[in-house]
Amino acid sequence: MDSSSEIASESTETKSLNLGYYFSNIITLVEFDLRKLKHDTLQVWVRLVQPVLWLAIFGTVMANFKVTPAGYSDYRQFLAPGVLAQSVMFVAIFYGINIVWERDLGQLNKLISTPASRSAIILGKTLSAGIRGIFQAAAILVLAIILRIDISFNPLHVLGIIFITILFGMCFSSLSICLASVFRTRERMMGIGQAITMPLFFASNAIYPISMMPGWVKYVAIINPLTYIVDAIRALMITSDFSQFPLDVAVIIGATALLVTLASWRFRKMVL
Amino acid sequence: MSDNIIAIDNLVKEFPRVKAVDDISFTINRGEIFGFLGPNGAGKTTTIKMLLTLIQPTSGLINIFGVNAITQPDMVRQIAGYVPQDVSVDGDLTGYENILMYAKLYNLPKSLREQRIKETLEYLEIQDRASEMVNTYSGGMMRRLEIAQALINQPQVLFLDEPSIGLDPGARRLMWDLIKQLRSEFKATILINTHDMVEADTLCDRIGIMDRGKLVTVGEPSVLKSTVGGDILSITSQSAQCLNKLEELGYQPLSDPSDHTLDLLVTNGERLIPHLLESLNSSGIEVEMVSLKKPTLDEVFLKYTGTRMGERDTWTAARRSRRNLRKLNH
Repeated sequence: MDSSSEIASESTETKSLNLGYYFSNIITLVEFDLRKLKHDTLQVWVRLVQPVLWLAIFGTVMANFKVTPAGYSDYRQFLAPGVLAQSVMFVAIFYGINIVWERDLGQLNKLISTPASRSAIILGKTLSAGIRGIFQAAAILVLAIILRIDISFNPLHVLGIIFITILFGMCFSSLSICLASVFRTRERMMGIGQAITMPLFFASNAIYPISMMPGWVKYVAIINPLTYIVDAIRALMITSDFSQFPLDVAVIIGATALLVTLASWRFRKMVL
Repeated sequence: MSDNIIAIDNLVKEFPRVKAVDDISFTINRGEIFGFLGPNGAGKTTTIKMLLTLIQPTSGLINIFGVNAITQPDMVRQIAGYVPQDVSVDGDLTGYENILMYAKLYNLPKSLREQRIKETLEYLEIQDRASEMVNTYSGGMMRRLEIAQALINQPQVLFLDEPSIGLDPGARRLMWDLIKQLRSEFKATILINTHDMVEADTLCDRIGIMDRGKLVTVGEPSVLKSTVGGDILSITSQSAQCLNKLEELGYQPLSDPSDHTLDLLVTNGERLIPHLLESLNSSGIEVEMVSLKKPTLDEVFLKYTGTRMGERDTWTAARRSRRNLRKLNH
């Protein structure tokens, strides 16, 4: 059969391009996710409703209690990184619902019938969630300016926030893909999303310092990746206190790598 | 040998509690339109997904264009195009973007890309609406866009799962014409899954009838229909003598008379009717109604499986059973 030998020689030729092809597939998936966002920017604004409430109302009221932890000009300044983190987390966690939706529609089946590898698909999808997170983070930085919250504009710090946000989005969207592979239906995923985001949020240093928590919650906070993410963002955005920063980044990178790997593995089971 | 571009041997797919595909073997020739016909849950989609390397078979061999699909799935993905049963275009992107995305995923060189997309859009007559969001498209247009996505890499083998499902009769006809055209213009080998007997009959060169994971028979539609043995002549008469007279004439009714109707298996039914009526009349038997039915694939299905296809389950039941299968697999 000459056709088979043709194909065989073609494939050895393309072997050397494999890595480039792998990354170009990831970029393609991100590109088209961003195009979707461009066609529908409303979702970015709608997602701002909650952060506005947290910062403008909750933050302002709480500031009157004089509970501001030492080193912050007011409570809203302490709160802003936590709200940013919460907002990105929502985007990422509910990204898994998207994946279930795409599977139900048959889009995933078609996607995996292309030569793009499954791990490239997962990396593309989770990176998209990270990039979407940047828009959310940027919107909250603007909101902080409008509310006259004192934040750092050091370009390196802003770049740092972008970097952390991308990893953060990948980390939690992978978690959400893992959950989607277990719970499988959109309805359940809506419930699961609700059920885990608030506990993660409350058992972190997003709205109050760990030192104020009851004993056992402290332990939860210590194993909660969100704590490290908020800590890193807080250092970049407000305090410039980088004493914990290497640990934060190490935990975030570790958790992201672990969850992305787990998501790629679960993804194989998810599509049928 | 070189004509069998797809060869399947003893293919089995077991899920924890179901044997979805039960030891099937067949070959498909170059340039052929081959159809799997069967009720929902027969294992057609599972078979196609194994050929497309989307799921791993439990056992068996799959050879596509000389490539072992089980050990070299990447090479199969490069030469295969797939249109799934469900609507798989992205409604939140434009038609052009939907195709561009697949052009990029198939790693089409930049120099070729735009020209190829333009040609494909024109060929499938979506160029006028290419810059509009897909969620404004009609069902037929979405289907054409899906085919455009699958064609962008100029596949040698095209897998279409229920290509005309959910389309209105007009769009269905157009889809069939399009599929035939694809074969002649792109020299593609086309494999379709269908539970629509008319579709299988009008579109396919050969069909394989599947039921409960087994491939019960393979052949050209006309040949398969001729194996049924002839036409079915139904005679309705209130007369009790009718059955005796027919047996006297040497006919054996197919089933017990229901509503005083007797079904006979005959050859050349059109010519037989006048003679038969004359002999019945001359014996004083009054015939109320006569109908002649040419065999369809439904009779073929009945012959090989013992039930009619329509008696199995409906489309909605199929979705349910597929979803259950997914859960089981999990």
